[in-house]
Amino acid sequence: MNDMDLLEHTGVVNELLARYGVKFGIYKNNTFKEQLFPFDAIPRIIKKKEFDYLEKGLKQRVVALNLFLKDIYSDKKIVKDNVVPEDFIFASSGYMAECEGVMPVKGIYSHISGIDLVQGKDKNWYILEDNLRVPSGASYPMIARELCRKGSPRTFEKTKIEDNRNYAKLLRRTMDHVNVDGGHTVILTPGRYNAAYFEHSYLAEQTGAHLVNGSELIVENDKLYYVKYNGEKERVGAVYRRISDEYLDPMNFNPESVIGIPHIFDVYKKGNVALINAPGNGVADDKGIYYFVPKMIKYYLGEEPVLNNAPTYLPFYEEDMKYVLENFDKLVLKDVAEAGGYGVVFGNSMTKEQKEKFIALLKSEPRRFIAQEVIDFLDIDILEGNEQVPRKADLRAFVLMADEPLVWKSGLTRFSRNPDSFIVNSSQGGGFKDTWVLSQ
Amino acid sequence: MKRLYFDYHMQIKYTSPASECHFTIKCIPIDSEVQFVEKYDIHIEPDNVYSTGVDSFGNKMVYGTVRDEHSYFAYRITGEVAVGLGKSDIVENENMVGIYKYPYGLTVADTEIQKYYDLLMKNMDEFGIESKCSDYDKSIALMHRIHEDFKYQKNVTDIYTTAEDAMKLGCGVCQDYAHIMTTLCRMMKIPARYVAGMMTGEGFSHAWVEILDGGRWYALDPTNDIIISDSHIKLGVGRDASDCQINRGVLKGGGNQTQVIHVIVKEI
Repeated sequence: MNDMDLLEHTGVVNELLARYGVKFGIYKNNTFKEQLFPFDAIPRIIKKKEFDYLEKGLKQRVVALNLFLKDIYSDKKIVKDNVVPEDFIFASSGYMAECEGVMPVKGIYSHISGIDLVQGKDKNWYILEDNLRVPSGASYPMIARELCRKGSPRTFEKTKIEDNRNYAKLLRRTMDHVNVDGGHTVILTPGRYNAAYFEHSYLAEQTGAHLVNGSELIVENDKLYYVKYNGEKERVGAVYRRISDEYLDPMNFNPESVIGIPHIFDVYKKGNVALINAPGNGVADDKGIYYFVPKMIKYYLGEEPVLNNAPTYLPFYEEDMKYVLENFDKLVLKDVAEAGGYGVVFGNSMTKEQKEKFIALLKSEPRRFIAQEVIDFLDIDILEGNEQVPRKADLRAFVLMADEPLVWKSGLTRFSRNPDSFIVNSSQGGGFKDTWVLSQ
Repeated sequence: MKRLYFDYHMQIKYTSPASECHFTIKCIPIDSEVQFVEKYDIHIEPDNVYSTGVDSFGNKMVYGTVRDEHSYFAYRITGEVAVGLGKSDIVENENMVGIYKYPYGLTVADTEIQKYYDLLMKNMDEFGIESKCSDYDKSIALMHRIHEDFKYQKNVTDIYTTAEDAMKLGCGVCQDYAHIMTTLCRMMKIPARYVAGMMTGEGFSHAWVEILDGGRWYALDPTNDIIISDSHIKLGVGRDASDCQINRGVLKGGGNQTQVIHVIVKEI
C-alpha cells in the first residue's frame, strides 16, 4: 500500500474523528477515562477471493451458533447426544435459566455477531473468539471510511473497494426483520458514559432508529412503548439494546439496575417485542464453548467447518490436561470467564513460582481454562511518525442475521501499538484500521 | 390427602408517596402430582390491574405497575388446594433438571460449607449413610443432620443471606435451612431445588427443598425435619430463593417502608 495521499491525511482524519467524538471510554480504578481510539490510515486489504472464503466460513459459523442457542434453551439435543458436556452449559456464567423455553422472534438469537479472526504467518485465518452479546466496533471503520473519502477522494476513485457505509442498511434490514407489529425500532443505550456511546449514537443516526435510554421506554398492557417528549406513547417493535443482560430488566435480573426497563423481559417472552441480541447468548460465546463450535457445525449442519479455530485444548478432558502440562511453555492460557484481553497468560512468561501456582489452580478448576497454541500473527504495517512498522492485528468481522445471514464486507481491524504485544483490545490501548475488501 | 384453605396477605405502607411501583408476585400454587388447586382468587391494591405469566421454572406469576402516587401496596391471594396427592412429584420439564445440579446465586459453597461437607463425607457411618444408599435416603440423613446442627433463629439473616454466610452463623430461618440443604445436596451430586410455599398454621411463608431421585421430586423440610406429605402448599421452585421470590418490586419514592405479611393455612 503506497498511497501517500491517504497516508498524508492521517492527522486530518484523526482530528476529524476526535471532533466527531470517536472515543472509547474505559473504567480503570473506578474512574471513567475517555480516550481517543487512534486511527491508522494504512488499511487492511483483503482480496475478493479471500473474503469470499471468509464470508462462507463466517456465515456457516453464525448459523450454527444460532442453532446451538435455540437448542440449548429448549431440547438440548447436543447435550443429550454427548457432543457438549452439560458442565459447559449449566456452569457457564453466560447461561441464563430465565431464558429456558423462550423463543425469540423468528428464532433468531444472535442478530449481530462480532467474530474475531487472525491471520497467521502461514496465511491461514483462524477464529479467535465469537462475540454474540453486544459486540461493538462496526461504527469505527464506517466513519473512518467516510472521513478518508473526504480527505483523499482520489484514493477511492482508483481502487475498487466494497463500500462499507452500507452497514447501516444491513443493520436496518436485520432489525426490521424481527420488528413486531411494525412498531418503532430503538437503540437502547446506557448513556454517554458507556465505552461505546459514540457507536450507539452513530448507528442510530445512520439507521434512522431512535436513540433512547431506559427511562424513555415503558411496559404497559404487555407491550413496550416509547414515551415521546410530550408524554405520548408509541409502540416499540424492536430494541437494539446496547446494555448487557443483567441490567436489562430489574424485575427479572439485577434488581439494582437503573438503566433497564422493568418488565421488558416479560413482554419479550410473550413475543411482543424483539430484543437484539437475545438475552442468554453468553452461553454460546464463552471461551469454554469456543472449543465446541467446530463440533456444533458438524452436528447441526453436517458440514466440515470452513474456518478453523486456533488449536485449542480443554483441560477438562484428561488427555488435553496432559498435553497442556507437557507443553505448558508454548501455550497461551485463557480464563473462560474473562473478556477484553484480561485473564490471558502466556506459559513462557511466568516465573517458576507463578507457574506452580497456576498449575495448581488449573488442576483444581480445569473447566475454568482453555489453552491454545500461540499463533504467529501475520504482522500488518502501521504508521509511527513517518515510518511504517509491523504490528500484531486482528479482525472483527460482523455477521448479521436477517432473512438470511449477511456478512459485512469490511470489519474492524484492531492493532497493538506495543511491538511485543499480542493484545489488540481497544480497552487496552490499541488502535484501529479500516478494512478494505476489494470488489474485484 | 387433605384439603387446605389458604390466605396470603401482604401489605407495604410507605411514609411518603410512592410511584412507578413495578411488582412481580409469584404466589399462586401450581397443579402437580402432589397438589391440585381447586380454586384461587387474587386481589391487588390500590389498582387491581395486572398481567399473568409463567416463568421458566414453571412458576405462575402476576406482574404490573402502579404508576400514580400511592401510599400503600397490598395483595391478597386466597384459595383451596388438595395436598398430599402423592409421595413424590413429576419432573415437569426434563430439560430443566440440569440447572438444579450446579451451584447458583445464594447456594454457592465456600470454605464453611466445604468444611461441613468434608466432615460429613469423612464420617459417613456417623452421618448414617453408605455410598450405596439411594439419593433419597442420603437426603433424609442430610436433613436430620442439618436440623440437628443448625439453630432456628429469627432476625439474624435476611432474604439475601447466602447458604455460606448462614452456615458461618450457625443459625437462621427456613430460607437458610433450605439454601444450606440445597447446596449440600448438589455437592453430593443430588439434584436439588429450593421451594417457596406455605405450611399449615398462621404466620409467614415457608421454604423447603425438593431432591431428585429416580426421576421424581421428593419434598423435604429441614426446618421441621419432616418428609412432606399433606401439610405444605407449594408456591414456587427455583435454583435459590431469588428465582421464586414471592414478591419483588422496584419503585420511586416511598420513604420508609413497613411490610406486613400474614399467612393462614388450615384444613377444611
